[in-house]
Amino acid sequence: MKKIEAVIQPYKLEDVKNALKAIGIDGMTITEVRGHGRQKGHKEVYRGQEYQVDLLPKVKLELIVATVRVEEVVQTLSAAARTGKIGDGKIFIYTVEEAIRIRNDERGEAAL
Amino acid sequence: MTSAGKQLSNEFLDGWRTRFLETGDAQAVWKARTAYVDTEVLEAHAASLLPAFPEDFALLAVGGYGRRELFPQSDIDLLLLSRRPVIVSSAKTAISEFVRHLWDAGLRCSQSVRTLDECLVLHDGNLELTISLLDERLLTGDLALHAQLRERFARFLNTERKEIMRLLCKATRSRHAKFHQTIYRLEPDVKEAPGGLRDVHTTRWLPRLRDGEVPPPLDPHPAAHVSSVRTFLHFRAGRDQNLLDFESQDALSAAPFSPWHDPAEWMRAWYRDAHSIWLDIQSELEMSEKLERSMLANFRDWRSRLSNTEFTVSRDMVFLRNPADLDVDPELPLRLFQFVARHGVAPARQTEQRVSAHLSRWARNYASHPPQAKWWREMLCLPSVSLAMRSMRACGFLSAILPEWGHVEHLVVRDFYHHYTVDEHTIVTLESLEELANAKAGPTLRFVPLLEESKDELWILRLALVFHDLGKGTGGNHEIESVRLAKEFLSRSGFGEVESATVMFLIQRHLDLSTLLQSRNLSDPETARYSAALNSTEERLRLLTLMTLADINAVNPSALTPWRLEQLWRLYRVTQRELTRELSDSLEPETPPVSPEENPLLAEFLDGLPRRYLFTHSMEQAAAQAKLYASAQEHSAALQIEKRDGFYHLSVVAHDRPFLFASVAGGLSSFNLNILKAEAFHNRHGYIADAFVFSDPGNNLELNPPELERLRSMLRRIILGEVRVEQLLQGRPAKAPPSRSGKVDAQVSLDTATSDAATLFEVVAHDRPGLLYALASAISRSDCNIEVVLVNTEAHRAIDVFHVTKRGAKLSEADTLQVRQALIDAAIGG
Repeated sequence: MKKIEAVIQPYKLEDVKNALKAIGIDGMTITEVRGHGRQKGHKEVYRGQEYQVDLLPKVKLELIVATVRVEEVVQTLSAAARTGKIGDGKIFIYTVEEAIRIRNDERGEAAL
Repeated sequence: MTSAGKQLSNEFLDGWRTRFLETGDAQAVWKARTAYVDTEVLEAHAASLLPAFPEDFALLAVGGYGRRELFPQSDIDLLLLSRRPVIVSSAKTAISEFVRHLWDAGLRCSQSVRTLDECLVLHDGNLELTISLLDERLLTGDLALHAQLRERFARFLNTERKEIMRLLCKATRSRHAKFHQTIYRLEPDVKEAPGGLRDVHTTRWLPRLRDGEVPPPLDPHPAAHVSSVRTFLHFRAGRDQNLLDFESQDALSAAPFSPWHDPAEWMRAWYRDAHSIWLDIQSELEMSEKLERSMLANFRDWRSRLSNTEFTVSRDMVFLRNPADLDVDPELPLRLFQFVARHGVAPARQTEQRVSAHLSRWARNYASHPPQAKWWREMLCLPSVSLAMRSMRACGFLSAILPEWGHVEHLVVRDFYHHYTVDEHTIVTLESLEELANAKAGPTLRFVPLLEESKDELWILRLALVFHDLGKGTGGNHEIESVRLAKEFLSRSGFGEVESATVMFLIQRHLDLSTLLQSRNLSDPETARYSAALNSTEERLRLLTLMTLADINAVNPSALTPWRLEQLWRLYRVTQRELTRELSDSLEPETPPVSPEENPLLAEFLDGLPRRYLFTHSMEQAAAQAKLYASAQEHSAALQIEKRDGFYHLSVVAHDRPFLFASVAGGLSSFNLNILKAEAFHNRHGYIADAFVFSDPGNNLELNPPELERLRSMLRRIILGEVRVEQLLQGRPAKAPPSRSGKVDAQVSLDTATSDAATLFEVVAHDRPGLLYALASAISRSDCNIEVVLVNTEAHRAIDVFHVTKRGAKLSEADTLQVRQALIDAAIGG
């Protein structure tokens, strides 16, 4: 099993969710996050007052899938989130040792 | 279940449950369970405690068990009263055996072992013991010892009455604060939340402490209802569950004894009863806290600075000086609630009760004579309007003056996102704006300038917030329904065309920015264009941004995350930048609003004026300025001054010439008038239409009517170039800042990207008499033309945006730098 973690543009969330649903992926955790990549923060002046702008709003998706589906899921996610511009986000993949469904103690892919 | 006792207990519970579900009668359950528990406790006592404590010992039921109000899963509170200090090691085995016996019978017991002296000590930490003793009941044991406790406890209450009441009031206020002082949570805690059982009990304890007796409740139904609900929750969960969540509400409304089978209707009935309990506890708290104070403190209060001939402020509450006036003066409550909103002091419960007593009269009176726009405008401008709204709702007065409010009163709309009823959410939006106005730090701070810049339209924003969800109570699309209700209200209350349009715009669009910030790419210029078209002016954008912020913040305490704030700010900024383009001449209306055949004069006057002019002026105002235009064609210039809403409004239409705008600004300053806003437009036929809003800090114009005529005459001469403004301005004093930290450093930002036709300069500077004149003159001296100017003043901070051209085009780089330096010099100088 693999954990796929993707940081994407907020307005792409609906597209990504719909694309994943179309390939049978329904379960995911979504978090509103803020951060920045290579670009440094900058100062913005509004009405004579300075504000630091260094963290841009993004959305983080986390989903666990069977190893055999990783490539398919990553391609679907990537295609749905891509605009071709800076700030489209990133995808990270981790190995998951075990998954356990608390309700009935099911383990492994059956618990996903 | 591990024992026969527990099985027996469960069998009893099942029987009580079956009977309860038919009637909903909690008292029958209390009675049956108390009798059952008494038997079990006495058995356990005989088996384990009596051999160890044969004398000088009494077993007492306290708290809910003492007053025979045992809910199905309530703990059993017991006091083991001993004449002498108990040696813990010797008593431990017997007490453990006693508790185990009860546990096996399915009873959870909270017991304490105390001597008489230990029962008669008071401090913050053991208030619960003192209060639980108010409801003590002897189960078995030494009768003489119990009689001694009663006698000494009565003396103790007599001596410590004030302190116990103080602690109980303090604990109650602090419990209410934990629930944000509201009964209107969608999933309330029926025991601890305001309007719950704890408040029912406190309304009995306080009069007993104060007066020595408990008066019978005027209406026993609310307490019986809350008790019935808690009983149901205990039966349903099989444990001490007190949260009335959505699933429990569904189950309760489906219960055989429920008179309402629609969960929303059922909850409305719940809030009505919780509201009644809430009002009772407020009265009791007020009466008890009043006794805490010294006579001198009370006397001082009555002479409070805020008091006037109609209202007295005492102990931070408003009282009516002559309550009988309510019988003859229907305007009195309107003034009362304005007083509350102005000073931020809530009416006493007694005052609210007096207003409530006249409700049917108010409803009749205001149906035929509703409060007019002037009252609403004044009310909604006041700093603590949310407090007044809360109070008006509490005594039913809000529905009397605004019948539409009845649609959302106690209304539940479940969406797992909102935490409050619709009416409560609406009032919390108003509180959110008040919190923002006082923000000194934190992520909302950057929105504070928007609020300051919108202070003239704050009442419009607040009115829109009052109406934004009223449509949820009438069915259908709530934005459309809310607009319909607002339209009827605005029309019957006599609001103006432009302000009504803005109120309805805000209501109709109140969800749009939330949707945009989640669904659109904020870096895409198309999003900015879309949002700019939606908002149409900077003023509307500011108001809608603030409305969105207040609306999200009032949904639940954690809804306004830094993430959403950042997105909202980004959306505001990209839209604001885009909107500055619509100030430009190049953006004229796509279709002329009036054809030359229809009204040749008006059509000629409007020809070439930018789109913004039409958004900020009604056709009535445009027609009035067209008349000035006709006059200006004949006499080179025409002007009009009128006083509206406490400010003077000057309209000038004149043939354009260099230094014209600067000269008019200087002329106003020379009369010590304070320019709050200014706008300058010019049409295709070489005429300018300038508008100034100014205040008269010295009331000179009002106190000396000939001065107004002198001002008109002076301005006319200034416009015609017959007077030199520099001479008029010599020797004018500077406005002092409110504090040393209030000093504003002059800054000039320039924007060459957003407009195709002009270069934009934004000047932020310390305001002073003649500042606008100095800035405008600096531009004119550089041989440049002011196409559009937007002037705003926030306290001693002036924010002026100039759209500048030279020979009909944007400025070259060299000219831009020169004008920027000239503006900096002008802003600093003086």
